[in-house]
Amino acid sequence: MANVTVYSTPSCGYCKMEKEFLAEKGVDFVEIDVAADQEAAAQMVEKTGQMGVPVTIVALDNGTEEILVGFDQERLVELLNLA
Amino acid sequence: MYDTVIIGGGPAAVAAGVYAARKQMKTVFVADQIGGQSVVSDGIANWIGDVLIPGAELAGNLKKHLMEYKDDITIAVPEKAQSITRNDDDSFLIKTNKNEYHSKTVIITTGGRHRKIGVPGEDLYNGKGVAYCATCDAPFFRDKDVAVIGGGNSGLESVVDLLPYARKVYLLARRDELRGDPITQKTIFDSPKVEIIYKSNTTKIIGKTMVTGLQYENLDTKESHDLEVQGVFVEIGSVPNSDFVQDLVTCNERGEIVVDHRTFATSQRGVFAAGDVTDELYKQNNIAAGDAIKALLSAYQYVQKAA
Repeated sequence: MANVTVYSTPSCGYCKMEKEFLAEKGVDFVEIDVAADQEAAAQMVEKTGQMGVPVTIVALDNGTEEILVGFDQERLVELLNLA
Repeated sequence: MYDTVIIGGGPAAVAAGVYAARKQMKTVFVADQIGGQSVVSDGIANWIGDVLIPGAELAGNLKKHLMEYKDDITIAVPEKAQSITRNDDDSFLIKTNKNEYHSKTVIITTGGRHRKIGVPGEDLYNGKGVAYCATCDAPFFRDKDVAVIGGGNSGLESVVDLLPYARKVYLLARRDELRGDPITQKTIFDSPKVEIIYKSNTTKIIGKTMVTGLQYENLDTKESHDLEVQGVFVEIGSVPNSDFVQDLVTCNERGEIVVDHRTFATSQRGVFAAGDVTDELYKQNNIAAGDAIKALLSAYQYVQKAA
């Protein structure tokens, strides 16, 4: 089971697309609104070295973590074994 | 053998897709995503039928309408068209990153992408202060000073998106006047946070790990000036996504596909195009959809005649 966290802002179109896609595929994810939560925003910027959203962090079973910047549908399908 | 392959995912492509399905044409719809450039637009007030609709919602509606026909047409998303070649039997071979399709006709509705300024620092700081989507990224610039480059509607709208967050917004325009809608111009003129710098040409984006400023040249005096900003939003228009078909169809000096404005046929028999990727004068959602329908109906006639 993978753990999925999505950093997004309310007005971001690609963030909305990704969240809808994950919901459609029945993937549970934690959503962090970096417009409202400035501390989380700073953490996100530090972790990824950049300011674009969405940022998706997928924590895999084997202990590794993959960070996706932007809505990368193909990689999400691969990482999460989605149809 | 398909009747048509539609390439693109915005309003033009979706319009063609819906009509193709309803005409019972054997169709493949190839796109990166469904929604198009409007996905990043805050609020669209001129999509006829909707007083004000968020871009993401318009994209969602387009997707929903297309998916209504998912059993009638092949929806190949996300997939990227890479090349189109003509076969000996006059049909076309469309290669994507995942598949190959043979089709009697092709409809190119790949739209446009952000034009880059092409100055040092722009690529280096992409995502580190240089941004192309104010609706997405404005919240990161809370209490910071930012610059928006571009005096047309996208530039003006980006300024408006940044006003609730930024401490100060510089708007750099090449001309001595702004080009966008008067309504948006007024919001900007009325804001104490905005400083408009006319006749400016950005020459360099500067920073350390993130952007710290930019350099611009005054187009009259040729003097160089420095601006201290932590964000640079580039909104200077778009470039047509026609790179993959430049050998197939005639394009103009801007790279736009040249089309017959009655039939939307390109210079290649059997290939049609519509929307922002073409030399259509007006780049608008409503127009892209309307023109794509003409392109599709022309493709339909073409297939019927050849039969």
